[in-house]
Amino acid sequence: MLASITSATVLGVRGCPVTVEVYVGEGLPGYHLVGLPDTVCRESRNRIRAAFAACELAWPNRNVTINLAPASERKSGAGLDLAIAVGILVATEQLPPDVASRYAFIGELGLDGVLRRVAGVAPMVDALGEIDVVVPVANALEAFVASRGTPRVAPDLRTVVRCLRGDDPWDAIPVDPRADDVPAGPDLADVRGQPVARQALEIAAAGGHHMLFIGAPGSGKTMLAQRLAGLLPRLDREQALETTMVHSAAGLPLPRGGLIQAPPFRAPHHTTSVIGICGGGSTSIKPGELSLATNGVLFLDELGEFARPALEGLREPLEEGVIRVARAVGRLALPARFLLVAATNPCPCGGGPPGSCQCDDNARARYLRRLSGPLADRFDLRVVVQRPAVDELLGAEPGESSSVVRDRVVAARDVALLRSGKLNAALSADELDEVAPVTAEARRVLRNEIERERLTGRGYHRVRRVARTIADLTEPGSILVTVDHVELALSMRTSLRGPAMTDSRWIA
Amino acid sequence: MSAGDRRVGALAALAGLDLITAGRLRALLARHEPEEAYEVVAGRAVPHPAVEPMLTADLRAAWATSAARREPAEWADRCHQIGVTAVAYGDANYPDALVHDPQPPAALFVRGDWSALDARRVGIVGTRNATGPGCEFASVLGRELATEGVTVVSGLAKGIDGAAHRGVLRVDGRRAVAVVANGPDSPYPRQHRELWHEVATTGLLISEWPPGTEPEKFRFPLRNRIIAALSEVLVVVESRERGGSLTTAREALERGVDVMAVPGSVNNRAAAGTNQLIRDGASPVTGVGDVLLALGLDHRHSDRSGFDPRPLPRGVEATVLERCRVDACTLDTIVSDLELTVTDAAMTLARLERSGWLRECGGWFEPVCSWEASSWSGVS
Repeated sequence: MLASITSATVLGVRGCPVTVEVYVGEGLPGYHLVGLPDTVCRESRNRIRAAFAACELAWPNRNVTINLAPASERKSGAGLDLAIAVGILVATEQLPPDVASRYAFIGELGLDGVLRRVAGVAPMVDALGEIDVVVPVANALEAFVASRGTPRVAPDLRTVVRCLRGDDPWDAIPVDPRADDVPAGPDLADVRGQPVARQALEIAAAGGHHMLFIGAPGSGKTMLAQRLAGLLPRLDREQALETTMVHSAAGLPLPRGGLIQAPPFRAPHHTTSVIGICGGGSTSIKPGELSLATNGVLFLDELGEFARPALEGLREPLEEGVIRVARAVGRLALPARFLLVAATNPCPCGGGPPGSCQCDDNARARYLRRLSGPLADRFDLRVVVQRPAVDELLGAEPGESSSVVRDRVVAARDVALLRSGKLNAALSADELDEVAPVTAEARRVLRNEIERERLTGRGYHRVRRVARTIADLTEPGSILVTVDHVELALSMRTSLRGPAMTDSRWIA
Repeated sequence: MSAGDRRVGALAALAGLDLITAGRLRALLARHEPEEAYEVVAGRAVPHPAVEPMLTADLRAAWATSAARREPAEWADRCHQIGVTAVAYGDANYPDALVHDPQPPAALFVRGDWSALDARRVGIVGTRNATGPGCEFASVLGRELATEGVTVVSGLAKGIDGAAHRGVLRVDGRRAVAVVANGPDSPYPRQHRELWHEVATTGLLISEWPPGTEPEKFRFPLRNRIIAALSEVLVVVESRERGGSLTTAREALERGVDVMAVPGSVNNRAAAGTNQLIRDGASPVTGVGDVLLALGLDHRHSDRSGFDPRPLPRGVEATVLERCRVDACTLDTIVSDLELTVTDAAMTLARLERSGWLRECGGWFEPVCSWEASSWSGVS
């Protein structure tokens, strides 16, 4: 007899509905799985057979053929186990076909019939639309968050069978009363001293400006960057869903409520492969760190140590907010809209005040070459971070806390969004002329910088964007960008030129 | 081809041999004329009995193969093209300062005019990785010495050396003397290409090695001994605890040349070596007068303070400038130490920088001491 069960698989961050067709017919006992399953998927036979025995279900001693439609697309993972098991039960008339067709099934089976967690349940449930989806208990929250129907949860195969037969009601989805609590990340109040870097963080958060910290090891670059996510406003429903989909697809743990409401903070190590950063994989496409940082912060510590292709891979997403990958499995676009914070030493030895660098010129030039060019150009804010003095570390009252700064950031963001519908970092040159007019004095300062060749055409626009954000932060509602704002923006554009070039620069 | 050219070609061929040293070349040239010495080395002539014991089998083989690489005529052509002449130890125009040296170079390859060495000579050396104020001091010292008619000897390296040469070249008609560690034909370091050509055309460029020699590490200490030997007074402007300029200072002490050093802040790592020299007895240099005094020249009018058209910093600007004079500061230092807002600090630093009182380098602000230095950097 023939059975047809609805399930889904995931490709990148997109769910793909899959129809599991099971035919149990005459012939020698056997089990054939077709429709481009990967190894894990093909091994389902052994899991399902053991689970049947554990749950006292009858295994058909006949020829079982299973087709995963659409047959031409690759299926990966163990998420189809439950659907195949239910299909066999329907095809052998152990379950009524009309009941099974009302649901979709996602879950991995254990040998004892237990249902295990599967990666990517949120996008799968989303792709299945309004049909009720049966998922493992461990995936309940993400299914609940993404579903437009009524998701059902079950701890094991036995329960699924009993519920489908009508012997038992479905379990209610456990609701965590603290679901909406967003765990507080590291607080800005922990940072002692560093007044400039603090202000730069606030500006970056308010305007969506990418930023680069330049400083010796131990100067607190990482500590500062970690606090940027805490300055961003909570995600709205749409952003939260998008981020949750990506994290679910990657199989990462989700917060208590199932929905990611705090902007994510991702800090991949510099040895992470290009695939790990950009996304991809040989058998299935997994989202990379760029996508996991969607609607949050991507922190690249030791920027100069990252593989060149990984850094090059940043350019498209920084420009467009998506990353398009093509692999053997298929081609697709992954979301990658993030705030980039990077940190680097000024040179391989760690640098410090002028005259303290000990690198040889070639090493330093090589190091700077990696950072320079198209990538360095995309940082609106480049800030020197210095190790705070002992007095600052031990004494002094704590600085402002993240929540105080976040309130100002949210206010400035609201101003920008109301004015032009986007954050200041995304303003085009034409829009800048319209929304960020500069005073005559500020214009003189900018002109002087350009004449001294310290500012390029592109840099000029970047300074104006940052200055607009500074104006929004300090004087919400101000229309003009004044010389104060421009000077502060200029002071946060440290050039990466090494000390070796000093003499040729300052003496004609 | 003139006899002179042939001689230069032979010297270049000899100095370009593998395993040649100043001592071996001196020994060869003591008994043979250069052309003849080349024939000896190439195995075509009989060595003088005094030279014979030096010629071990290894040395003979190495010299014979390297001599065959390029004929003296080719060397001569090459030297002629780029205007390189050569003198050998014992020649009439061999510099007097080197004649009684404990390790005199056997041959020198030079571009430019020997007369640059006739004046009083001061060596200015220091680290390649210098601070802005260090370079500025070297440059000003070079210029002021040149104004007083003193020849400045240095090494054309990055940092202090180059800055000193640049200062000299700002005075019309004054000649810089540069001793380099590679052949006199190809500029090194590349950033100093123009400076190199200017010194070679208006001053004197000296090398112990023939054209085409690469600047290998071992050549720099050898070069430093020539700088030390050519100087009557050696001024070290900035140096780390260990550095090439300290080897120059040591060579100078061995030759009885006065070593002077420019004191620096104890926080400045680039001044650690010079401060150590002062502790060990070197006289401090705080201006050109100190150097002129050491040379026994009239120094009474030297330290004139010129007109400074920079607007005098007032109020908070003066405070910020004072702080930067203590040691190099970042924006953070100014904000925390002087308790200013970030905006005020940024504006003050920017104003001081624009008016030529400060110089920014990778986020660090250093003071610009003299007005001239600020005008050289192109600040209006």
